[in-house]
Amino acid sequence: MTAYLANLATLVAIFGILAATLNFVVGFAGIFSVAHAVFFGLGAYAGAQVALQLFPDALLACLVAAIVAGGLSLCLALPALRVRGEYFVAASLGLQMMATTLFSEAKAFTGGIGGLVAIPRPTVAGVEVGVLPLALAALALILFLTARLQRGAFGRTLQSIRDAESAAEALGKNVAAAKTLAVAFACAGAGIGGALFALHLSFVNVESFTMDQSVLVMAMVIIGGTGTLWGPLIGAILLLSLPSGLAFLPFIPATEVGAVQQIVYGLAMTLLMIFRPAGLVGDLSKGRATA
Amino acid sequence: MSEILLKSENLARAFGGLQAVAGVSLSLPAGRVTALVGPNGAGKTTTFNLITGNLRADSGTAQIRGRPIMGLKPWQVARLGVARSFQDLRLFTHVTVRENVLAATETASWFWQPGGSRARRQREDRAAAALEATGLAALADARAIDLAYAERKFLSMARILAAEADIWLLDEPASGLDLASRLRFGELLRAATARGVAICLIEHNLDVVAELSDRIAFLDQGRVLAEGEPQAILRDPALAAIYFGDRPQEAA
Ligand SMILES: Nc1ncnc2c1ncn2[C@@H]1O[C@H](COP(=O)(O)OP(=O)(O)OP(=O)(O)O)[C@@H](O)[C@H]1O
Ligand SMILES: [Mg+2]
Repeated sequence: MTAYLANLATLVAIFGILAATLNFVVGFAGIFSVAHAVFFGLGAYAGAQVALQLFPDALLACLVAAIVAGGLSLCLALPALRVRGEYFVAASLGLQMMATTLFSEAKAFTGGIGGLVAIPRPTVAGVEVGVLPLALAALALILFLTARLQRGAFGRTLQSIRDAESAAEALGKNVAAAKTLAVAFACAGAGIGGALFALHLSFVNVESFTMDQSVLVMAMVIIGGTGTLWGPLIGAILLLSLPSGLAFLPFIPATEVGAVQQIVYGLAMTLLMIFRPAGLVGDLSKGRATA
Repeated sequence: MSEILLKSENLARAFGGLQAVAGVSLSLPAGRVTALVGPNGAGKTTTFNLITGNLRADSGTAQIRGRPIMGLKPWQVARLGVARSFQDLRLFTHVTVRENVLAATETASWFWQPGGSRARRQREDRAAAALEATGLAALADARAIDLAYAERKFLSMARILAAEADIWLLDEPASGLDLASRLRFGELLRAATARGVAICLIEHNLDVVAELSDRIAFLDQGRVLAEGEPQAILRDPALAAIYFGDRPQEAA
């Protein structure tokens, strides 16, 4: 049971990182990306390769993962950021589809469909450590950084771009630079989440980095409340505990848990958008259709 | 004669077959209000968009203090000291009034602003002063989307005040304001011109134009038909005919 809870807590921390960083671009910059799992994946592969090829130092793996994911987000986001609003959703969708294929094909880096296996246990300064404390520390750091950025001038810049891009630009804000920075920051964070994920499971393959995963993270953000600090974490806790919670209910046959889970998710999303459109933590007055 | 801060020469722009702006030359002197008047669709807003880099000109040039600005991006033009308002305001709707104005003082696009806490306090003071001058201080914590019509117009002005630009391009900032608000608006303009700000004011209400402007440029079908002292332009019967919609050349 404790092993079970530790596993759940580790996953919550990792997905909390994913949701918090995605929220940074969706909730603050208004950049609606459905490709967050791509950068999660890049970080996971990069972190796994560091552990496999060099040595399993967790901090090094996280650093390399952040650089790879954040860096590649620049190359990929720069052309995509030139398009606006709903076109960016389509561009990120294309990126997600392309990346899933590349992840399955680039065997040298990703191990192909089979993935990367036997990733060694992580160490810090040569001492073996559990992933849970690392993941909690990374989550705390990322929540701290996003809170600082969100409440300061940079968050205001992103919000002004979200609300009226041309007016922000007319006030001297370099919109493309600010958006790129926000995306790079968020994707570097997702990369760290990926490295921790790889070290936690000691196995990764493309199935964790598909469209479904991007949608799940997006659902965490929306359910918890976009643009809030704690909402994404709450969304991550809810959506990750739900399947295990359902598995404990005696009257649902084990074979049907998956189907019941999908129905519960769908129902919860629909009800939430009707009754609390800004998410569980979100400001109630926000998101309602105004007359 | 005061210094010309912004000058455009023969700006032109067509949309498909429509020549929206057909060679507009404007000069905005420091400390003066130049009104840009003309019927709907005359090309006033498009002229602003060409100057600020929101639209690319087909031909023509513009300079700020002699420095060419054609081809610059809107944020680069803004950093040369141009602040503009939009006909449809474009407020930062989901943040507070104070944050709208603070955002106007923060131009660095990096994770933090230069100058540390001292510069931050100065920006906060500037924002507070802009809210005071526009009568919005009591609403500082309200969200922009919750403001009434006139308050929104003043918030748009507060952003411009806080931006500390010396060239203001204002697109119908006073439309729909009641008399008391218009008086307050006039004070804002006079305080700015007293500091040497060059203002270009698009305005349909000719009483407001007569009261606030030092010069008028009359625009029709993308051309400056006349330019001069307000009284001369406003008394010209041919211009009045165009402005009020009965064009002699269109009469049967
Ligand atoms: N982006 C655009 N694409 C196509 N046509 C445009 C565009 N912007 C303006 N126009 C057209 O150019 C002409 C001039 O428009 P503009 O907005 O400059 O007029 P205006 O003088 O500001 O009018 P108003 O007093 O109604 O605001 C109009 O016929 C308008 O429809
Ligand atoms: Mg106009």
